[in-house]
Parts: sequence; structure tokens; C-alpha cells
Amino acid sequence: MGKNPGTANGAPNLAVQLGPLRLKNPVMSASGTFGYGKEYSSFLDLRALGAVVVKGISLKPRAGNPPPRIVETAGGMMNAIGLENVGVEKFLEAKLPFLRELGVPVIVNIFGNTLEEYRELAARLSGAEGVCAIEINVSCPNVKEGGMVFGTDPKMTEAVVRAVRTVTTLPVITKLTPNVTSISELAKAAEGGGSDIISCINTLAAMAVDVFSRRPRLANVVGGLSGPAVKPVAIRCVYEVTRAVKCPVIGIGGIGSATDALEFLLAGASAVQVGTANFTNPAVMSDIIEGISRFLAVEAIEDINSFIGSLDTSCVFPFSEDSCALIKADMD
Amino acid sequence: MEKIIEEGRIVSLERVLGQIYRLRLHCPKIARAARPGQFVMLRVREGTDPLLRRPFSFSRIYALKGELEILFRVVGRGTLLLSRLPADSTLSLVGPLGNGFTLPADKSAPLAFIAGGIGIAPLLELIAQVVGGRGQKGSGELHLFYGARSAVELLPEEEVTIAGLRSHFATDDGSFGYQGRITRMFEDVLAEGAFRPLQIYSCGPLAMQYNVAKWALANDMPAQLSLESLMACGIGACLGCALAAATPKEAGEERFVHVCEDGPIFSAGSIKWEKILAQQTAPPTWPFN
Ligand SMILES: Cc1cc2nc3c(=O)[nH]c(=O)nc-3n(C[C@H](O)[C@H](O)[C@H](O)COP(=O)(O)OP(=O)(O)OC[C@H]3O[C@@H](n4cnc5c(N)ncnc54)[C@H](O)[C@@H]3O)c2cc1C
Ligand SMILES: Cc1cc2nc3c(=O)[nH]c(=O)nc-3n(C[C@H](O)[C@H](O)[C@H](O)COP(=O)(O)O)c2cc1C
Ligand code: FES
Repeated sequence: MGKNPGTANGAPNLAVQLGPLRLKNPVMSASGTFGYGKEYSSFLDLRALGAVVVKGISLKPRAGNPPPRIVETAGGMMNAIGLENVGVEKFLEAKLPFLRELGVPVIVNIFGNTLEEYRELAARLSGAEGVCAIEINVSCPNVKEGGMVFGTDPKMTEAVVRAVRTVTTLPVITKLTPNVTSISELAKAAEGGGSDIISCINTLAAMAVDVFSRRPRLANVVGGLSGPAVKPVAIRCVYEVTRAVKCPVIGIGGIGSATDALEFLLAGASAVQVGTANFTNPAVMSDIIEGISRFLAVEAIEDINSFIGSLDTSCVFPFSEDSCALIKADMD
Repeated sequence: MEKIIEEGRIVSLERVLGQIYRLRLHCPKIARAARPGQFVMLRVREGTDPLLRRPFSFSRIYALKGELEILFRVVGRGTLLLSRLPADSTLSLVGPLGNGFTLPADKSAPLAFIAGGIGIAPLLELIAQVVGGRGQKGSGELHLFYGARSAVELLPEEEVTIAGLRSHFATDDGSFGYQGRITRMFEDVLAEGAFRPLQIYSCGPLAMQYNVAKWALANDMPAQLSLESLMACGIGACLGCALAAATPKEAGEERFVHVCEDGPIFSAGSIKWEKILAQQTAPPTWPFN
């Protein structure tokens, strides 16, 4: 056996630092695809995850949209769940303790109709033991009030982030929508409002129709597209955002394998969230963590942080100039 | 209850008739934990087409052999691919999921089973367990009402008959058995007065289930209905499988149940039927493409 790269025990270092937030590895669940964590506890060891991001929480419980709420599309799915959730009080009382006792870092995704609601939610969660960060959802395409209304206007985004920032000392993540002309503008606005971290992307606004009934396939008419189909859009967003802001970025969208995750890290994301892939394979995140570790070992990369953002955009031709010359000489 | 992810090996896959196939899988962990009325999320194949798993209930459970049987009807891309899988290939299964049927405590209770089309699947295992649990004597009060559009979609009589069970067949076009809706036949038989079940178990298309529920509510008879919805995860995480629930706590407030966690077995009174009938799933488009 050759030299074993990595830390003392031979395994590469996977720990990442996202501003004030330290994670033992860069792989987390994406909000709304992992329930409150417990739903997956018989499929994987939740403690192995970088963090669990729970379903979006609002001040009051929400019943959600009428069904049909989901539809499968080519290489993806659309959903219009409508942010059904148990509400912050029940979350703290009935859902959080399970994760806290396991010792899993919990990131709470929050959603409000007004600035005041975002502020109240953040304040309520700040004191809660076990919560390691707040992710502000200003990007849900499936509800009429709030949601994307905040997330498509830089001034509103900044105001929401500031409202949350002023009432909490927890790390604040702002989750952006791709349904805008310039996601960089919104990233800058979120950073300006005091966001420690940016996460992107939420789902893409989408629609599917049925030729027999001549009706939309979702009761909500439009929904959010996720899954492998959105990955190239998401990588482009991460690439743009990481170049527009100084704060760390979490990449989300269509990640289903270790190399998918590594592509986001290469483009500049400091960590990733896995969403739809959890439905296809409920143990996928442990496979991803293991795969990243193996990739780094094979590539003799001791620390994942030296891989993050190391994308080489200087030359699209994958060879050095010397090898270009060699090939050219060969062809002549 | 523990949910398991397991690779199932195809022991056999055969066409029963028409578009109906029988798939037998070796997956001992799930088979040992499975109960009638529960289901598995089956990954038809690796890759992204189709992306999501498909839900199927158990038509038979062979716990000792570690095998499961699934009876399915080809209705779209996923089930078409499934019907073409070679024997000996493996499939990823997640299960057993959902609540399952509750078997009656009284071993001599008269029971009615109502099946429409492929809805016969979960009832076959349920019937096998009920009959097995009470011995062949004294079980004459078990009646199966089984209907389909036509004889080509109805499992052969010998596939469903079992000692101790009385079977009644109906087809919409009259090509086999009673001509008309199975729920009509059920009502006719009960109107004769000789048979009055203590409980109804039913599985079938939504319109049939609605009629069963309406009858059960009007006649004050407990019914356990197996319902469907589009599903992404099957484990209570995506909240995609919602159905409108009856009796909202505060008047006017909407409430939903989730088929994968709260069901797939529901009582007649727990569903807001008017709401879900309005959103029946669309027919498949693949025959045109
Ligand atoms: C709890 C449960 C148990 C089931 N058990 C069985 C079973 O034992 N045998 C069996 O043949 N089928 C069963 N089904 C239905 C089965 O899941 C669908 O037929 C299957 O998912 C269709 O996949 P497809 O890719 O072939 O069709 P698609 O191409 O996805 O769709 C084709 C048609 O099937 C409909 N459809 C898709 N998914 C579902 C669904 N989950 N429920 C109902 N209709 C759907 C679509 O609306 C469309 O009309 C069950 C469904 C549930 C929810
Ligand atoms: C069923 C479903 C529910 C979701 N719910 C939420 C939510 O409550 N809050 C949120 O910020 N994002 C939500 N999302 C978006 C995901 O977190 C993620 O941003 C998106 O699905 C893209 O990632 P993916 O392609 O890996 O799924 C949801 C996505 C799906 C599929
Ligand atoms: S199918 Fe995902 S919650 Fe029921």
C-alpha cells in the first residue's frame, strides 16, 4: 500500500467551516425532503450527516395545498405541498427532542407571511437547544402569500434577512430561488442583510398538464421542479453566487451521488443539501458521504477544503499547453 | 415498526392474464415483517427513468420462505418496465409501509371482502390469513365480491377461490358472473338478508371505494378501505400523498391525511369523499406514444 493520504487515521478530512457554522462533513438533507429526520432513522445513521435540515416551519401549523401535490417528470418531479407543517410550537415540543438527543445538528428552515412572522419564528428558535442554524426560506414557489414574493425582490430579501438577523445569534442561512433574472443580486442583498451563508437553489417554478382531463396535473396549477433535471441550473447558480458574495454557499439541486456533490463543491459550494434523491434511495446520503471520502482518498486529497472552489475555468481544453502542442505535433 | 430497505431477487415473474402480472420476490427481511394491507415502494430500475419508486401492496406473504408476491397491472412506464424484467434480477424495496388491515378479533365474525380490478391484490393475502386463522369449519360466512370491467381483467376463479370462502363475481359488461357494478351485486346479496357482515374490507378504484364507503356509512357498518394516492417517498417525509380528511377539528378548516403513514387503510368516515373524487388521477397517455 502506498502512502495513505489524509488525517491521522488515514481518512481525508471532511469537516467544513461555513462562516460561524462548523459541520463534520458537507452533506445535509434539503428541507421538505427529509421530514423531521426521524422518518429516515431506520435507513441511515443520522449522526453521520453534516446536519439535518428539517421541513419548513411556520408560526402556526399549516394544512398545505389540496392534492394532487406531486407529479413525476422526465428526470425530476414537481411538488406543490404548500408548506404543510406542524408549526413551531409542536416542532419544538414533539419533533426537535428526537434529533437533539441523537446529537444531530439541526438546521431549521423557516417561512413566514410577514416580516414580523419571520422575526417571531427566529426569536422563538434562538433559545432552543439543539438548533445550530436557521435557514430562511424566501423562495417557495407554491404559496401565494410570502415565500417567493420576498425572495424575488432584493429589497424584500434584505429586509427579511435583517429582521431575522437582529433577533438571533444563530448562524443565518438564506435560501434563494432560481426563478429570477439574476440570482447574484439576491445573494448580495441577503449578504447585505447580514446572512452568514447562502443556500441555493430552491425548486424551479414549473407546470404539467393532462391532455385527457385538460387540467393541470397539480391542484395548485404550478409547482416546483426538483431532482436530477435541475442540477445544471443549480450548479450555474452556485457558480454565479459564489463569485458575487464573500459568504459561504450551500449547493442544492439534483444531487444524488458523490460525484454530483463534488461537482457543486468544485463550482464553489462549501457544502451541499440532498433533496429528491432521498425519496429514490432513503440511504443515499450515507452513500454520498462515503463516496466523497473514497474520491478524496483516491485523488490523494487530504482535506476537502482544498478541493472546494478549485474549478479551473482558465482553459476549457482539458490539457496543458504542452500537451496541446504534443497532440498538434502528433496530428501534423 | 422498523422500515427496511432490501434488495429483492425476482424468483418468478409471469403474466396471469391481460395486463395483469404476478411477481414473486425473495426479500426475507421485509417478508418476515409484512402484514396484509401494507405495501412496499419498489424501485423499478436504477437510474432516473422512472425517477421515483412505485407503491405496491402484498398479494401474498410467505414469511417462512422469505418471499413476497405482488400482483400488478401494467398502466404506465414503471409497470411496463417491471413486467419486462428478467428473472433473477434484483430490485430495491422499501417496506413494509403503512398501517395494514386490522384482522377481526372474533374468529367467527362474518366478513365481506370487496375487490375491484387489481384491488384484489391485498385482499388475497388478507383472506388467506383470515381463513388460515379460523380453520375450514365455521368460516362459511366469508364472502368475496370481486368485479372487473370484463372477464379479461378478472383473475381466473381458481386463483381466488379458497375453501371456506364464498366468491361472487361481476363484470361491467357481463362477460363473467353478474352483469353490473360489484357494489350493486354486494347490495343485492345483502338485501336478500341471509348474510350480514360484521365488517367490510375493500380495495379497488376510487369510484368503487366511494360507493362502498357511502353504503357502509348509511348502514352503520365498519369498513376498512385501502386507498391510493400518488407517492414520492412512501415514508411520511414528502407529504405528497395527502387526501382530504373528514371532520375538520374547527369547522371550515382543511385537514389532510397521508396515505403512506395514516393509511393506506382508512375507515369510511375518515375521508372527505367529495373532495377526492374531484381529483381522480388521470388515465395513462403511453398508448398514444
Ligand atoms: C398503497 C398502494 C398500493 C398499491 N398496490 C398496487 C398493487 O398491488 N398492484 C397494482 O397493480 N398497483 C398498485 N398500486 C398502484 C400502482 O402504484 C400504480 O399503478 C403505479 O405506481 C403506476 O406506475 P407506472 O409508472 O406504471 O404508471 P405512471 O406512468 O406513473 O402512471 C400511469 C397511470 O397510473 C396512475 N398512477 C401512478 N401512480 C399511481 C399510484 N400511486 N396510485 C394510483 N395510480 C397511480 C397515473 O395517474 C396514471 O394514470 C398501489 C398504489 C398504492 C398507493
Ligand atoms: C416534496 C418537497 C418539499 C419541499 N419542501 C421545502 C420546504 O419546506 N422548504 C424549503 O426551503 N424547500 C423545500 N423544498 C425544496 C428542496 O429543499 C430543494 O431546494 C429542492 O428540492 C432542490 O433539491 P433536489 O433537486 O435535491 O430535490 C422541497 C422540495 C420537495 C421535492
Ligand atoms: S408518499 Fe411521501 S409522505 Fe406519503
